[in-house]
Amino acid sequence: MKRRIEIGILLSRSGGYSAISNAKYKGAMAAIAQVNQNPALAVELIPVERDPLGQIDLYAPLCTEILRDSEARHILGCVTSWSRKEVLPVLERAGAALWYAVPYEGFEASAHVVYMHACPNQHLLPLLDWAMPRFGQRMHLVASNYIWGWEINRLAREVVTTRGGEITGERHLSLGETGVDGMVEEIAAIRPDFVMNSLIGPSQYAFVAAMHERMPGVPILSCNLTECELPLMGAASDGLIAAGPYFHTPGAAFESSHEAAGHAAIMEMARLFDAHPGSERLSLAELLSLDANEGPIDPQTHHTSLPALIAQAEGGAFRVLHSLPARPGDPYLTRPDRSQTRQKLRLVT
Amino acid sequence: MSGQLRILDLAGAKAAILHRPHATAAAIERQLRAIGLSAETHWPELPDTLAVDFLFFDVDMGFDAQFPWPPGQSPMPMIALIGSEAPGRIEWSLSHGAHAQLLKPVGDNGVYSALLIARAAFQVRHGYTARIGELEGRLAARETVVRAVMTLVAQGMTDEDAFASLRRMATDRRESFEAVAARIIARHDTTKTNGGGR
Repeated sequence: MKRRIEIGILLSRSGGYSAISNAKYKGAMAAIAQVNQNPALAVELIPVERDPLGQIDLYAPLCTEILRDSEARHILGCVTSWSRKEVLPVLERAGAALWYAVPYEGFEASAHVVYMHACPNQHLLPLLDWAMPRFGQRMHLVASNYIWGWEINRLAREVVTTRGGEITGERHLSLGETGVDGMVEEIAAIRPDFVMNSLIGPSQYAFVAAMHERMPGVPILSCNLTECELPLMGAASDGLIAAGPYFHTPGAAFESSHEAAGHAAIMEMARLFDAHPGSERLSLAELLSLDANEGPIDPQTHHTSLPALIAQAEGGAFRVLHSLPARPGDPYLTRPDRSQTRQKLRLVT
Repeated sequence: MSGQLRILDLAGAKAAILHRPHATAAAIERQLRAIGLSAETHWPELPDTLAVDFLFFDVDMGFDAQFPWPPGQSPMPMIALIGSEAPGRIEWSLSHGAHAQLLKPVGDNGVYSALLIARAAFQVRHGYTARIGELEGRLAARETVVRAVMTLVAQGMTDEDAFASLRRMATDRRESFEAVAARIIARHDTTKTNGGGR
């Protein structure tokens, strides 16, 4: 007889970043089915779903609703950092936990969050290490006017200028804005060695299309682009370069790192609940301390060890160009030489 | 203040928490370790051998004798841990040079911004202190400069040439204007003394 355990799913199935949410949802649901069918696991996971529709002000109330109306204390969800910051106070009050499985800008290590996807030492830094010797020292920054873009740009600027490189310009667009002509004309005039693209959603799609038209030779790099958004850009996505912990290869289980990370988060929840009966009611800190370092989650930072891959889009898929072994998440960039002993997170099952 | 915060150099930093054993101290320690700093907690006294880059100190129960340095002269950035927001206690924390503050109870966040703000404020204050010391030195040397110029003028220079000559010597010797002025006066006095003895 399996123990029935409710878990929350707080993902926007529609709205500007639904491609990402839906990839995560797909991975999570596949994992739940897998857990529930596995006779070796003593737990059955019951998803309690709420859909904030991509509207920022719905996250905190819907998170509260999950915690009030169900037994769930662990929630997989949120895509944007803004939504994560919205639910943090709710989680803290309830002693609940968010499993956040999206690449993000780092500089957070909440006691109430598990960070299952890459932070800058796992995406931006390896990407710059790889790009600067190949493309050159002159970097142009474009980003959505939002914390992801601000922080990626700030850090990219610090890293590149520290190494003697040059920032040829920095432009921001409001979320959802698709008027990219000024931005693209500026790049055409300046001709930087490469562009760091931290635009999200429709702004990114418009920018990529316009660059494909106007400046097809300039490398465009991204720290959060995955397969799930390539169909939204069509042929214009050819040549885009992205860093991430996973890219789909023929025959592999997941279509993107979002799907893989959603799946991995649920599988790790199930492993913890199965190994420690009753632990689904514990706080995240208690749960991890009970688990005594058996899993992939670092009990100090709540981040995971992830490989850093650099890949290029080609015909709607990514081809990996460069592959670095798993490295622990270092959200504050204070552990440059930390040993890489932690068991690596398995994104491939 | 100009320039950006340098975040990449927090690596390996150490912090001390001057607070009795308490959930607040534990919460700060957790955050410090998550950020990547090492943390040590002391109460009620700081060890003589204290060697840390940041100090969090309790304002509610703190007292002067806890610190092995005069008020306001901590060798590291100080972050005040404030429970009761009573003016007397806040004055006390200011007298010890709080560079940033955290309100109690401390929960899941706040330490990282306190570290960066305290470090920036500490550096600004240090910069001002050094600059004020330098300016006070220059003010005190006004008389020396005037006497040096008068000495050179007495030897036949115009006042403009005298100033230019001082400036050139300062550049050549990589000394301050005031130090060169003092040297000229000393040389002149020696000459006078020697001359008088003959």
